Amino acid sequence: MKYLNKGIEEIHELLKSKKIKPIDLVEEAFENIESHKELNAYITLNKEEAIQRAKELEDKEVDNLLFGLPIAVKDNIVTKGLRTTCGSHILEPFIPVYDATIVEKIKEKNMIIIGKTNMDEFAMGSSSRTSYFGAPKNPWNPTKITGGSSGGSAATIAARDVLFAIGSDTGGSIRQPASYTGIVGMKPTYGRISRYGLVAFASSLDQMGPMTKNVYENAVLLNALVGKDDKDLTSADREEEDFTRFIGKDIKGMKIAVPNFLMGDIVSEEVKEKIHDTIALLEKNGAIVDRVDVKYLENAMTLYQIIAMGEASSNLARFDGIRYGFQAENVKNIEDIYLETRAQGFGEEVKRRIMVGSYLLSGENAKVYYHKALSIRDDMRKEFKKVFENYDLIIGPTTVTTAYDLTDPMDDPRKSFMDDVLVIPVNMAGLPGMNIPVGFSKDHMPIGMQIIGNSFEEAKIYQLGSFIEKELNLDLVPGGEK
Amino acid sequence: MEEKLTREEVLHVANLARIKLSEEEIEKYQVELKKLLNDVEKINEVEGYDDDILIACWDRNTELREDTEGEMLDPKQVVENAPHHTGNYIEVPVVIGESEGA
Repeated sequence: MKYLNKGIEEIHELLKSKKIKPIDLVEEAFENIESHKELNAYITLNKEEAIQRAKELEDKEVDNLLFGLPIAVKDNIVTKGLRTTCGSHILEPFIPVYDATIVEKIKEKNMIIIGKTNMDEFAMGSSSRTSYFGAPKNPWNPTKITGGSSGGSAATIAARDVLFAIGSDTGGSIRQPASYTGIVGMKPTYGRISRYGLVAFASSLDQMGPMTKNVYENAVLLNALVGKDDKDLTSADREEEDFTRFIGKDIKGMKIAVPNFLMGDIVSEEVKEKIHDTIALLEKNGAIVDRVDVKYLENAMTLYQIIAMGEASSNLARFDGIRYGFQAENVKNIEDIYLETRAQGFGEEVKRRIMVGSYLLSGENAKVYYHKALSIRDDMRKEFKKVFENYDLIIGPTTVTTAYDLTDPMDDPRKSFMDDVLVIPVNMAGLPGMNIPVGFSKDHMPIGMQIIGNSFEEAKIYQLGSFIEKELNLDLVPGGEK
Repeated sequence: MEEKLTREEVLHVANLARIKLSEEEIEKYQVELKKLLNDVEKINEVEGYDDDILIACWDRNTELREDTEGEMLDPKQVVENAPHHTGNYIEVPVVIGESEGA
């Protein structure tokens, strides 16, 4: 009997009435993962501990919707006693000595961590192919990329191995792979979820979020993850709210903006067509959809390159081969330990980015590039705020095409940025954004739409997302469910 | 001809980033880093923005946490992750050379 393809409320009832036990779900999750081994969705499995935890839970009261449910965690989020590699050789042996705040929250709900998911090295990439542990594969077609950087989390959800996964999104790394694999992926507002224990890539952009098979389960998980944390001073102190509260409500009178940039020539016809169909569906149901111009969106990729590479070069300075992780052998002098460890420990994409980032922040360059980028970023955010004075939400495609071949060349250093051109602006402005599947291409690869909200208005995003989900009623299980 | 950085420019940024490069890598990065640097130059074409800056998407006051005693990580556990360690200490090669001494 399979349970993990069911909705969480049904599973919750089964657990509550003792018809099943958490161990049944854990065993099923590991069977699923084993049967999808070729997807390479995980870097490390947490088998022994997960089984032990499931057995411990048998004596506990099933006191919340998430109780006993298996969850996968991206491998750049530290988990006490469970290896955390960031997809990098340099952290290959690293065993964290504390839990990230998000992990503590997962454990408080008595969810069970199944394993650590594959990802682009230090979350730098758009196809998960920069992982030291090999690329994960797309469950819809294993010759295609999953997208990235949260590619393993996306693959394991799309394949229905587990119910929940956590991803991180610095420049689209939750939403873009969610789009390529036909799942729901939410990047919440900057500050919603404490970043304590997320291995920093670009601190002013990084945010973690839930990746799930549907909108409702995404909102339920987000409920459990948010909150002010003294260990992350950028975490927001907000009144408690239920992110599911608008789910099921109609969208009559909802005002939605479509930025022209998001529907420009860079977007493939096939993707645009599905977005147009979805817009027509929304209009038919009483939403007001307008095309708008949002200034500076076309500059977002440049801003991202400067800010993300700059901050990454600083954040990754801590990997010195001395305190944790891998250290190059046969090197005696301390300076050479740094130079050799980083030369051998980092992959190409990471090296490129931290070299350029170091340059951008060095001496006068900090003013010429970084400071200027922060200034334009501020204006871009103001432009978004202006749109939200008149509209509830912004929509557009998540990606310019569907997932491409794993064998496509990787020799263009600009490619990983260009893949994320539509999702980057959201991080620049700290806004919440979510991918929702809206159809398939001719070769049956998922096409996604992103819904962008004003700061802290995730609940509205879920409202529109669940409406679209219900109306389209797509078969989102690779290989077919219906 | 393909645009590229000079060898010295690549070695300079590699030194800033504390990464040792092989001859082969130097040649490759002369081209690849130039492509990225050309991209970031586009920032100079942007016009019309004001002087305000946004360091992070944070429009609230920064509150510092209270200065209270908390739990400390076990130093023995912490140094376990260091490639070389003894007791509570991380081992490193000699950092200060004799010639630099008094």
